[in-house]
Order: sequence, then C-alpha cells, then structure tokens
Amino acid sequence: MKNAPEARPYLIFSLGQEKFAINVDHVQEVVEVVPITKVPNVPDFMLGIINLRGRVLPLLDTRVKLNLPKKEVTKKSRILILDIPGEDNKNLEIGALVDVANEVVSIREADIQEAPAVEMNKQATPITGLLNDNGDITMIIDISRVFSLQDIIQVNNN
Amino acid sequence: MDSNQQRFVEDALDLLNELDEGLMQLEENPQATAPLEQLFRTIHTIKGAANMFGFEAIGALSHQLEALFDLVRQGKIPVTDGLISITLQAFDKVRGLLKESDIQKINASVELKEHTEIATHFLHQVDIASGGMLSAEGAYHKNEVATFYIKISPVISITTQGNHPLVFIVQDLESVGTAKTFLQENATGEIVCWELFLTTTSPQPELESFFLFVEQDCKAEIHKLGAGNLCEDEEFNQAVESFVSEGFNLEIFQALAATIAEKNRLTAPFSDEEEEEINLSRKKIKSNAVIKVSKYKIDELLDWISELIILQTQVSTIASASTSNKLRDAAERLEIITTRLRDTSLEIGLVPVETLVTKFKRLVRDLSRSLHKKVNFLSEGAETEMDKDVIELMAEPLMHMIRNAIDHGIEKPEQRRAAGKSEHGTVRLKAFNSSAYAHILVSDDGKGIDSAVVLKKAIEQGLVQPDAELSEADTLNLIFHAGLSTASQVSDVSGRGVGMDVVRQRIHELRGSVSVKSQLGKGTSIHIKLPLSRSIIDGLLVRVAEARYVVPLSFVDRIDRIPYQELNLEHRLNKTVIVNGEPLSVFSLRKHFHEESEPPKTSDIISITLEGITKGLAVDRIEGKMQAVLKPLGDVYQQQDYLAGSTILGDGTLALVLDPQRLFKLADNKSLTL
Repeated sequence: MKNAPEARPYLIFSLGQEKFAINVDHVQEVVEVVPITKVPNVPDFMLGIINLRGRVLPLLDTRVKLNLPKKEVTKKSRILILDIPGEDNKNLEIGALVDVANEVVSIREADIQEAPAVEMNKQATPITGLLNDNGDITMIIDISRVFSLQDIIQVNNN
Repeated sequence: MDSNQQRFVEDALDLLNELDEGLMQLEENPQATAPLEQLFRTIHTIKGAANMFGFEAIGALSHQLEALFDLVRQGKIPVTDGLISITLQAFDKVRGLLKESDIQKINASVELKEHTEIATHFLHQVDIASGGMLSAEGAYHKNEVATFYIKISPVISITTQGNHPLVFIVQDLESVGTAKTFLQENATGEIVCWELFLTTTSPQPELESFFLFVEQDCKAEIHKLGAGNLCEDEEFNQAVESFVSEGFNLEIFQALAATIAEKNRLTAPFSDEEEEEINLSRKKIKSNAVIKVSKYKIDELLDWISELIILQTQVSTIASASTSNKLRDAAERLEIITTRLRDTSLEIGLVPVETLVTKFKRLVRDLSRSLHKKVNFLSEGAETEMDKDVIELMAEPLMHMIRNAIDHGIEKPEQRRAAGKSEHGTVRLKAFNSSAYAHILVSDDGKGIDSAVVLKKAIEQGLVQPDAELSEADTLNLIFHAGLSTASQVSDVSGRGVGMDVVRQRIHELRGSVSVKSQLGKGTSIHIKLPLSRSIIDGLLVRVAEARYVVPLSFVDRIDRIPYQELNLEHRLNKTVIVNGEPLSVFSLRKHFHEESEPPKTSDIISITLEGITKGLAVDRIEGKMQAVLKPLGDVYQQQDYLAGSTILGDGTLALVLDPQRLFKLADNKSLTL
C-alpha cells in the first residue's frame, strides 16, 4: 500500500478467518496473554481482569462481543490495550482479546469502500468500511462502537 | 484571586471555625476570660489579614466586631445572646462569601455591609445604654485592681490630733484598699502632706470624689501607677522604702509598676483551671507547628506507597522461594520499612475530627433554639484522626444524625420533666480510633425508637410481610431503609427518618458499617465504624476453587471449619447451617460462582456481622491475613458492586476484594441463599 497524504495507520487483527482494522489512536499497546482473573456473575464476553504492570484492567472477549463463537486462547492470542473515548472525557481503558494481532498498516481514505449492511443485535454496526485488496477483505471497525460503556452496562442488565 | 488571597481564604476558614468554637464557649460561660481573649485575638487576626490581602469589606466588619469584643474584654458590656448571635451571623456570612472566587464580589457584598451596620448599630446601642461612658475618653475600668500614688497637701494648718475632716478622709482612703501611708510633719507638728500608695479596685474618679468637700483646704494629687496589686510586691515595697529618702518620682514608679506587672503576668501562680488552660494552649502551639501541604501531593504519595507495598509483597514472595539468605534478609527488612512508611504516610493525610465537632456544636445550638428544646452537646475524642476526605464526606450524614437526635430524639423540656428526666437532653458525639478504624458514636438520651411503630410502618409500606418475625435489631435497622425513611409521616412518628438510607449508603461507600441501638424512653445510639484508609485494607485472603478473594477483616467475627457436605442444602427445608452451635444463613462462594471444579472436603465459614445481623460466607480455604491495596475494577464492572475492587497478590496475580454487605444483598435479592 502506498503512503498518501490522507493515509492513516491502522492495526490489523484477526478473529478466525476474518481480518479487522482499527485506528491506532485507540491502541495503547499489544501484549501477550497474561494470567486472567475471572470475575464471577458477569456476561460471557467479560473475561475478567488482568494485571498489566500494576494496572488492573478489565479484559473483554472481542469474539463474543461481536457474536462470534468463543475460542480457546492460543499462543497467537493477543490482548489489545485500548483507550476508548467515552462521555465526559472519561476514557474507557480495557484489554480486548483477539486471535491474532497482525500488523500496523497505512490505509488511504480513498481505498475504503462503503460497509455492507451487517445485522448486529439492535445496535449500529461497528463496521464502518471495507478494504478489498484483490479479494482479501479487511473490515474497518469503530472500536468505540464495539466496546461502549453504555453497551456493557446494558448487556449486564439483561 | 492570587495565591496569597487563596491562602487567606483557607486560613480564614480555619479561623472562622475557631471563632465559632470560641463564641459557643463564651456563650456557655460568659464570665470566662480565656475564650474571650482567644476570640478577640481571632477576630483581630481575621481583620488584619483581610485588610492586608484586600478583603476590605471583611476587614471593616471584623473591625466593628473587634470593637464590640474589646468592650466586652474591658468589662464595659456583658456577653449577651444578642452579641453572640450577631457575631455568629456576621461570620456565617463571611464564611459563605469566601466560597466566592471573585474578590470584587466579596468586597461589594451588600449583606456584608448590612452586617457591618448591624454591628455598628449594636455598638451604638450599648453606648447609649451606658450613658456614653464607653466612648468617653478616660472611661474608668470597673473592678480593675490598680495601685495609685496619692499626695494630699493641706493648705491650712492641721495636725493629726486635730479634728479636721481631712484626717478622716485619709483614713477612709486607706480603708478602700491596701495602703502605705507616709506622713510628713514639720517641726511644729503641722502636717505638710500625706503620701499614700494605695492598691484598690475603686476607680480614680471615685478616689477623686473623696476630696469633693475639702477642695478649699488641701491640694490632692492622684496618679495611677499601674494595674495590679503593687503593694504586695517586694520590689515595689523596696522602692517605696527608698522613696522616703529619695522623694517621689512619678515616672520612675510608673516604669517600675509596668515591669512588675509584666513579671507578674509571667510568673503569677495559676489556679488549677487556669493552669490547665495554659497547658492546653501550649499543646495547641505544639500541634500548630504545621506545614501546609496540598492534598494532591499527599494523595500522590499514598498512591506510590501503595505501589511500593505491592512491589514489596512480590519481592517477599520471590525471596521466600529463594535459597539466598541475604535476599530473604533484605526482603524482610524491606517489609518492615514499607509497613512503617505506610503507617506514617497514612497519618499524614489524617486530620482531627475537631472541625466537624465545631460545626455540630453550632448545629445543636441553632436547632435546639428553634425547636425550643434544651440540649447539651458533649463531644469526646475530637482529637481522633481521620482521612480528610472521609471527614468531609461524613459531615453531612453526621449532621443529619444529630439533627434527627435533636428533632426526634430529645423531648421537649416539659415532656422530659414528666418522664422524670432532667430538662436538658444530651446529645453525645464520641470518636475514637481502634487499629485501622475510626469509630463515631452519636447518642442521645431522648425518647428512643419505638420498634413497634417502625415495624407497623414498614408493614404498611410493604417492606415487611405482616407475618414476618423480626428481631429487635432487624426492626431497628429498618430505619435505614429508603422506602421507610423517605416517607415524612413516618419520620414524625418513628423518630428517625428522612435520609437515613443516604446516611447508610455514604457509610457503605466508605466501606464502613453502621449499627443502631435504642431503648424506648432511654435514648438511641448509632455506631459508625470507618476504615482509616480508603485504599489500603486489612483482609483475609481466601481461596475458592482456582480463584482467590479478599474479605475485609473489619466485618469478620469468627471463622469455623465445617464438612463441605453440610452446605448441600438444595433439598432441605432448613436452609441454615449449624455453625458453632447456632443456625447461620450461609452464602457459599463456590456454589454461586465456582461450581466447575471438584468440591473440597471441608469449607471455612467466615461469620460476618453487618448491622447487627450475622451471616456466614463459605469459602474453600482461608489462606491468611493480608494487607490489600485496593485497585478499582473500573466502570466496566460497575454493576458487580459486590466487589469492592481487586488487589495484586505477591505472585503478581489478582484477587477480588469482596464487599460483604452488597454480596449478601445480592444473595437476598436473587434469593440465592442456600
């Protein structure tokens, strides 16, 4: 991919066969899977908490949150430490479990195609666009739509 | 507002608290000089600082009030309710205005000017009432002991044997105080002059009046040498002896009087009470030697100490697994020092509850007046230290409880008399520290809570089933229930009410507990227990399956080990477990949260008493006692409120810190109890 003025860096990660791209602005770092402390009595996608060098962060399962089947943690599994802007300038700091974290690439706005109409459960689709590299599809997703505090609270209440 | 002005605001707020305290002391004991002097100095300090930093309006108001209290100090006007009230109200206004960030607004405040006028008017009134003597130059000081030098030189020829009234006048003069008289006669026995050193409480004009009728016959000079009883002072007496040979020099004697007065002030023996006062003020001076540090810095320090504790436990864990004696030794010393460092740093952030107590005195005073009740407010342990934030957060709930105690607890004087009690009710606030907790007890000797009425109301509100059998403690705890307490008609009948649920909630937020005891006709007592630190807690580390939890030690009563199968109550009618010979309602962490793995043979039951009710928490095994640094779980887990947070263990893994109160509530709500 060529570097153009309007190109922006994205982090590519995979869930199964599908590839996703998120804006790196929201990614603090990518870490290997650390011991997870489970929290009882929570929805499935809330995996527990992790100790990241003295910081306690909630760990969420990106697969389950996107209604994909749960999968065991492998050697390739990674935790994306995300900083998601929320209301009142209060950022939500979380760890998001993904199958594979691939690479950081630059994507030009012009290369992004309109997203297909994806049916998500009652919420706006987090897929904001598609990147078609000769049949190799990468979905651009808005991470703040995948993990929003309001959404987490709502899921908790159900 | 610049930083100096902000400092003034901070200091002034402290001074205003002192002022409240002083005014209340003075009101109780109008004759006492110590609080009066303190009060005067405080007002003076406020005045000076206000003018210096450009708060002229506050300065002007303070000036008028200072003038008033100066008159009180001089004994010219008495301490009256009116005086105390206008002062309290005026400084309340100042306190309110200091919250304003715009200095112009403070100076332009109309209300401040009104209060200044009220004070001026008051000053004017008392001035008129006393016949203008107050502002008159040379006004005399009533009852003030002073020593005078009086020289009486007859202009006519008289002898001591003669019958002239002047002889008797001098004798009269001698009898109004302690006198040393020197008589000079000439060779023929005629009196040249009398010279008297007289110590008396009679003011100078009164002494002058002695000579009213003999003005034609003599020349009388009266000079005040100084305050105090100089005739009893050795140095003065020596001077008086030498005076005979050297003659009288007014200036020398006045200077001498001044040094003696100063010396007496420093060395005068004090009565026990006064001595105590002095000790107190000395103590105060010692504790007043402080450095002001911003709260932010202390918080920062504590945060780092917390991190250090976590790291230290990790080092200890690594060291204990190591074969190196040197490493183990170093780790041990590190632990000792970390613990000391923690204790000292925790103390830095603590402040005495004294500031609260002053507020409460004020509340009691105002409220008892408006309700026409006679209430004594006693406080004990005002020096008890607590986290500044906690004190601030507890101010409202405690105010509320005291308000309740006066409003609903203490009866009217006539009712109290009829019940055979003293007309004065007592509201008591007792604070003390025990280990890592601060305790606050608020009690009154009022009419107590009628649990029957509470129960009746609770049934009416549908909070309790009509056929439910509640213990006395359970019933009393209903007063903390939101549904019950927000209904105003209930508060009128039951005694306590509006907002007690808020009180309890605030205490829970601070990870504290509250319990109530009441005896009908005798009074009510509410006991609050709060952890000293908001982030470091003592807890029991427990294991349930693969997970580890921390149970805050503050709630733990006892620990028992029972066979695990006793917890299998699914198919039994009796859902309680017999622990230590008593039936206990038990919440099993394993059964609710961790059914995945093979159960253990035994289970440890932690008995926890909350608000007078004891429940059990079943865990697989208790691993030990630990100091946990609380790490919040964050917003994602805000609905998991039965978890107070998490903590990092020595091996770097995490344990969840339980909030037993909420955990049991969860169990009740979901009827999950075994």
